[in-house]
Amino acid sequence: MRRILDKIRRSLSARLSIWVVLFSAIILLGTLGYSAHVSRNYVRMEAIKRASQVLDNSVLRLANILEDVELAANNLEWLVYRNLETPERMADYTRSIVEGTPSLSGCSISFEPDYYPGQRYYSIYSGRVEDDSITTIQEGNDNYQYWYLGWYQLPKLLRQPCWTEPYSDWEQDDAADLQTQMLVSYCKPLTAGDGSYIGTISLDISLKWLSETLASVQPYPHSYVVLVSRGGTYLVHPDPDKLFYETVFTPTLTGQEPALEALGRSMVGLEEGIRTLEIDGQKSYVFYTPLKSTGWSMGIVCPERDIFGGFKRLRRLVIGLGLLGLLLMFLVCFRVIRKTLRPLSNLAVQAGNIADGHFDTALPETPREDEIGTLTRSFSHMQSSLVSYIDELQRTTAKRERIEGELQVARNIQQGLIPRTFPTRADIDLYGEMIPAKEVGGDLYDFFLQNGRLYFCIGDVSGKGVPASLLMAMTRTVFRVAVQKAPAVTDIARELNEALSADNEQLMFVTMFLGVIDLKTGEMNYCNCGHNPPAVLHADGKASFVEGEPNVPLGVEPAYVFRGGVVHDVRGIPFLIYTDGLNEAENADHEPFGNDRLLEVMGSAPYQDAAEMIVRLNEAVKAHVAGAEASDDLTMMCIRIRKP
Amino acid sequence: MNRLTTFLLAFALPFLAGAQEHFVFSPQSNAQAQFAGYYAALEKGFYAEEGLDVEILHPFATSYALDNIREGNCQAITLPLTLAMRTIATDIPLVNILQTSMNSATVIISRWGDDPLTLHGAKVTAFRAGFGQSARSFAEMLGLDYEWITSASEVNLFIAGAVDATLGRSFDEYYRILQTGIDIPEKAIYRFEKGEFNIQQEGVYVTREYYETHKEQAEAFARASRRGWEWVAENREAALDIVMRYTKELHVATNRTLQQLMLEEVLRLQLDPDSGQRSFQIRPDMVEKANQILLQAGVLTKDPVKMEDIRP
Repeated sequence: MRRILDKIRRSLSARLSIWVVLFSAIILLGTLGYSAHVSRNYVRMEAIKRASQVLDNSVLRLANILEDVELAANNLEWLVYRNLETPERMADYTRSIVEGTPSLSGCSISFEPDYYPGQRYYSIYSGRVEDDSITTIQEGNDNYQYWYLGWYQLPKLLRQPCWTEPYSDWEQDDAADLQTQMLVSYCKPLTAGDGSYIGTISLDISLKWLSETLASVQPYPHSYVVLVSRGGTYLVHPDPDKLFYETVFTPTLTGQEPALEALGRSMVGLEEGIRTLEIDGQKSYVFYTPLKSTGWSMGIVCPERDIFGGFKRLRRLVIGLGLLGLLLMFLVCFRVIRKTLRPLSNLAVQAGNIADGHFDTALPETPREDEIGTLTRSFSHMQSSLVSYIDELQRTTAKRERIEGELQVARNIQQGLIPRTFPTRADIDLYGEMIPAKEVGGDLYDFFLQNGRLYFCIGDVSGKGVPASLLMAMTRTVFRVAVQKAPAVTDIARELNEALSADNEQLMFVTMFLGVIDLKTGEMNYCNCGHNPPAVLHADGKASFVEGEPNVPLGVEPAYVFRGGVVHDVRGIPFLIYTDGLNEAENADHEPFGNDRLLEVMGSAPYQDAAEMIVRLNEAVKAHVAGAEASDDLTMMCIRIRKP
Repeated sequence: MNRLTTFLLAFALPFLAGAQEHFVFSPQSNAQAQFAGYYAALEKGFYAEEGLDVEILHPFATSYALDNIREGNCQAITLPLTLAMRTIATDIPLVNILQTSMNSATVIISRWGDDPLTLHGAKVTAFRAGFGQSARSFAEMLGLDYEWITSASEVNLFIAGAVDATLGRSFDEYYRILQTGIDIPEKAIYRFEKGEFNIQQEGVYVTREYYETHKEQAEAFARASRRGWEWVAENREAALDIVMRYTKELHVATNRTLQQLMLEEVLRLQLDPDSGQRSFQIRPDMVEKANQILLQAGVLTKDPVKMEDIRP
């Protein structure tokens, strides 16, 4: 799944296709949903119309049957009244009525006990048997006292014709083939002129026959007709376990069946209507209408799947076709978009190659005038510009590398001018270090021994870089020459000043502290030409600056008269000379290292030797600047003359 | 009874049948859960274990179980206590060998929603087979001049509105009426069980003559029947299966739901109102109440029926 999503994420064609299909799907679903709603209503209306027609036809059919029965009953009544004095003819009447009325399963004329003197039971019954022949019997006896039965009593009590509730006439043990008959009867009272009750005429319809007759009516494959009596009993139902044995209310006795109960009440209340409810686990529509003359109600139960079966099949087909169409649309869109965007893909690949450094990668030629063509041409232009720029960059880089190489050479040369070998004599403890801020620096230090004297200097050329380094080299050379010409430090300074002032069109200058120490006496003569004062570490471990006679820097003022200073005996006293790259070294917040810290570091530990002092100061500066770029060269030299 | 015994009995019963006493039992109406205990005793072989070859003979809708015993067609019948007492006093000496009901199931249900005890002169149906004896006597006692319509189709007459009320039983007619969708408010029902005359009903009776000559058989029948009822109380669904087989064979217009409700109610009525137990005994206080109502209604014109006349 993740791979598919990744592919989609990386494919513009896929994403565009999905959006198109999604949008189409929404439109399709909306259209289908609306048409389904409209179609469903239409199908429902058609179903109602169809079921109502079938129901009306069934009711009409049943009404015809019942009318035949009632007509037969009227005829029989007329015959009975005319022939009350000849009871033996009653058998002929019942038989002929059954013969002439196909819907009847039987017919009886029953009289009150002892109506005919000497005959307690007089009930003549004619009924159909299995081979459709008609048998006639006298059915009253001690075990079958018919006047206690509902079909006899009902017209007697109501004194009007009526349809009975369904009943089983199983008591007729002398007519075994009739025993299982479930019947409903139309009964008429027979009364004498004085209003006394004579007997009951009963015309029976078999529920089984009625069910079979009406069951043939089926508006839908699984629909069926039900007929319920005044008491809700099923007079017609396809389920033999329900026919006669159950009423529409039976399931409501032990369970909550509000929909069924409402339907039952509506039906026995002789209302007309349509209801939807679950019957035997499936949602069904029940269309029902009353037969008011009987108190019965007929209904047609249509499972929803029958009514909407075709509609649902069509809906499934449309949805299937829709989905297939969307799939095809996706494939076509994907293909078309991918073809359209293929130059972009190629361009993306070529751009990748270019990005990998293959600047000579040829971009595809395109005749297209659309955005993709414009983009391709713009990209081609960008490629040529990029190639030119890269060439220029390469040339510049080569030039720079050459200059850097030359600078490195210059640096080596400059470093070579600085003495790296320090005296190993027991009476001289000297160490120095110069760290240029750039490839080459403008600081210098120098020292050498001559005639029992130690000559030394430290200087800082104005400016930085190559000009400063050139002036530094010249200054160092002049210092060595001047020492040979004039051993006094003020004379050396004057010589240097004269040399640096001559033709100084760039107005460059050098600050310098220079000195000479007589190693025998420890006397030190010095001259500070505009430079930082040296720092001295006293015997008590504290350091301080030694302020001497101030002078201008070298190269500033020709013919300047330099004043020097003298320390009669420096033996045993370590002192530090340095450039401003030490005390002015700045950290990232532009805070200088400072003079106080310089003195503090010097006195922070017992003095060991000059090299250790330089290392300690160097580390302190590094800790202070904390990686910030050095803005100036850093040069230090520490000297201590030991007593013999 | 363990499985081996059941197995042996199943094989042995057909061969032993010839040696068993033929015993015909006639319940007072058609096949239904009211008689589940007897069907169960027969089906489960309890009668056979007692050495009886029992035949259950249901009467026709319009005939009496009492006629069957009078005419010698059966050895035992079921009767409500009041009818049994009237029969003992005025007709045939009967002996109660088992009392199954401990409460009255009789109800009077009004068709139009009124209190049945206010329906003076109303047409009221009563089942012919006799459980309405106590109700008839009660109505006489209250001076309700009901016009009694004896019928074997009382529910149908009730549904059609041909009568104003009907006598019924809380386990039978009551549910059959509810099943028609007719709304019966509680005030339209008078339940004897809740009133002053809660008198036991169903019991099993044999003639005194039979009892004296076949005491062992009569008591064996009673024992097995009691066992049948106890089995039914413990196995209601299985008992219902047996009942439904009988109703189907005899084409009784009923269904499992009705029979289930009937069985539950019949079993409830078997519990003694005081102890809550199934004692299967006639209570002297109820015999006394029955005497009172029968005497006041004029059904008994001489002395009350004594306990020893009913249950030796």
